[in-house]
Amino acid sequence: MSREELFEKAAQSIVDANKDAAVEIAKKAIEEGIDPVDMINNGFSEGMSRCGELFDTGEMFLPELIVASDAMVAAINVLEQAMPVDSRTEKLGVAVIGTIEGDVHDIGKGIVATMLRVYGFEVHDLGRDVPIKAFVEKAKEVNADIVGSSALMTTTQVGQKALEEALKQAGLRDKVKTMVGGAVVTQRWADKIGSDLYAENATEAVMKLKELFG
Amino acid sequence: MKKYLTRMGDGQRVEMTADEMMKDFELGTQDAARRGKIDPLTQEDLNYLLEIFTDTNKIVSVEPGNEVVLTHDIGTLRLMGDQCNSGVGIPLSRIQGIGVHERAFAADTFELGHIDYSFKPVKPIISMEQQEMETAQLSAIIPLFYGAMPNLGLYYRPDGPFGNPSDLMPLGKIQEAREAQEEAVEHAIRDMIYISEKMFLAGADGINFDTTGAAGDTDMKATLHAVEHLKKHTDLSVEVGMAGEFVLGIHGALEYDGVRLAGLYPHQQVKLVEKAGADIFGPVVNTNTGKSMAWNLARAVTFIKACVEAANIPIHVNVGMGVGGIPVFETPCIDSVTRASKAMVEVAKVDGL
Amino acid sequence: MGVGDPFGMPVAHGMAAGMGGIRTAGDLVARMQMTRKMRIKEAKAYVAEKLKVSPADLSNEHVMREIREELDLGIITAVPGCAKGIEAKARIAELLGIEINSVKRLKDKIAF
Repeated sequence: MSREELFEKAAQSIVDANKDAAVEIAKKAIEEGIDPVDMINNGFSEGMSRCGELFDTGEMFLPELIVASDAMVAAINVLEQAMPVDSRTEKLGVAVIGTIEGDVHDIGKGIVATMLRVYGFEVHDLGRDVPIKAFVEKAKEVNADIVGSSALMTTTQVGQKALEEALKQAGLRDKVKTMVGGAVVTQRWADKIGSDLYAENATEAVMKLKELFG
Repeated sequence: MKKYLTRMGDGQRVEMTADEMMKDFELGTQDAARRGKIDPLTQEDLNYLLEIFTDTNKIVSVEPGNEVVLTHDIGTLRLMGDQCNSGVGIPLSRIQGIGVHERAFAADTFELGHIDYSFKPVKPIISMEQQEMETAQLSAIIPLFYGAMPNLGLYYRPDGPFGNPSDLMPLGKIQEAREAQEEAVEHAIRDMIYISEKMFLAGADGINFDTTGAAGDTDMKATLHAVEHLKKHTDLSVEVGMAGEFVLGIHGALEYDGVRLAGLYPHQQVKLVEKAGADIFGPVVNTNTGKSMAWNLARAVTFIKACVEAANIPIHVNVGMGVGGIPVFETPCIDSVTRASKAMVEVAKVDGL
Repeated sequence: MGVGDPFGMPVAHGMAAGMGGIRTAGDLVARMQMTRKMRIKEAKAYVAEKLKVSPADLSNEHVMREIREELDLGIITAVPGCAKGIEAKARIAELLGIEINSVKRLKDKIAF
């Protein structure tokens, strides 16, 4: 089997969320002496990218995305055995994420958290109705790179501004990138409160963070 | 080249040339066509959109004779509620609010809705809602729906008895998450039927299932089954309004009438809504705040035109803040709102808004 | 339609594209959509035929005001003696040949 064929099969195994196939292809790649990093970048990661596109267009759904991510992790675990320790894949960043206090809408935030995990971030999801203080404490505790907050309502949106202030007061603002999202949140709002990133949806959130941390 | 005032999807005013707008119309319609696997707008449609956008008057309108019926979501909350429902905080009763809509806003139809605007919290106070509907029916001439959101989110912890898929799925507990959703569906169907039947007994003309699909495919499944029951057992008119342009697959495998619900776009959603027996369908297309209104409206009209063509029942497109090509902004920009109105009626050919 | 402050959303849409409620024949056309699943053209044609006007007249205030007064279907302004609420709906049900839930319940209750 050619390298290109293996790459394609690897990508397809992720799109199919087929863990067994992904592991088999990873083993085959090692047997054939293909660079594991190439195999991850051109095969399995390509598969995850395709999953992201399918999710964005409503052709792949949350449970499938999670199973696809499991398949990806299993394949990478196999490939990592054949990689020098210093070149093993590492998490892209540590994210603390939650829905602002007073807001119980967390479906969108949950999708963002899941997508970030799928794409290699360590995610600490604080859930819904999260006090500002809890974001700050968690960010300190896990040495976060990203603090993401979601607000569905204009009445809770103001909490995102308060979070920016609280991070400044805790001396964390320069150490983390802040990201805001939610139905009523816009780029203009992100600019106004000084947030680093705004994303229209989960796919865009991942793309923007991958660009920053990838 | 002459520049025209228009808006971005977040409401900011920008100036664009006719060529720039046409380019965005093309990109917007192509995006909808690609996602929905539907036809893009014709050149004639795009030219008409350009006419609407290059009209230098602040307000535009449909031609006389082209007017359509308006149905309303969120009931009187927009008058006495807080900003969450775009409410303006006037201390009115709901009966007074209905009167204001009928006699001051010349609404064609209206709805009574509870402050929480979800079915589940109405159950324990159903007598109060019935009483309010009975009183409203005595004084109103226009048809009155009872409106609420299926809002399956209220059936998951911490608000309800079932495990929360948002908590379970990231832990890899996909089967458990799915089972929790399936249980929630059963309870939601029961609640929605109970409340709707009680409102029927109180004289309601119809039930408006608003923001169906907000909690994903479970929301849609519960709604369709409730609608099916109501149309078999009552004479209620039923309107099903959506929450987003495609049904989110939070469960992912739920079906209605053998069709997988997750991922359905408006022209596919309407076929199941019809099958369930609903009388009016309210499709939604979300606004992208980073794109121009030209891009957004062309995209929205493309989805809705395909839905209108596929439908056998009246289509009342959702045109509120952040949907149907209208910018996401709390104080809707009138130029944008009226342009969306005209385009939806005269290009997408909707039966109502 | 969806959310938005009263002036910015329902009033703006109403001015741009609305039938006009009881100022014209908006409620009547709505009732045909709701009870018979009629598309807009069909619903307008049905109501127009019942009122013996053209479909375009259904949103013409000048025509509809007179018709509503003559048939006592309820009008937008407050005029003593004109049908209000359920009384107007009873006439509308008869005119359109449809059942209106609240009217039927009232009739059932007061039938001796």
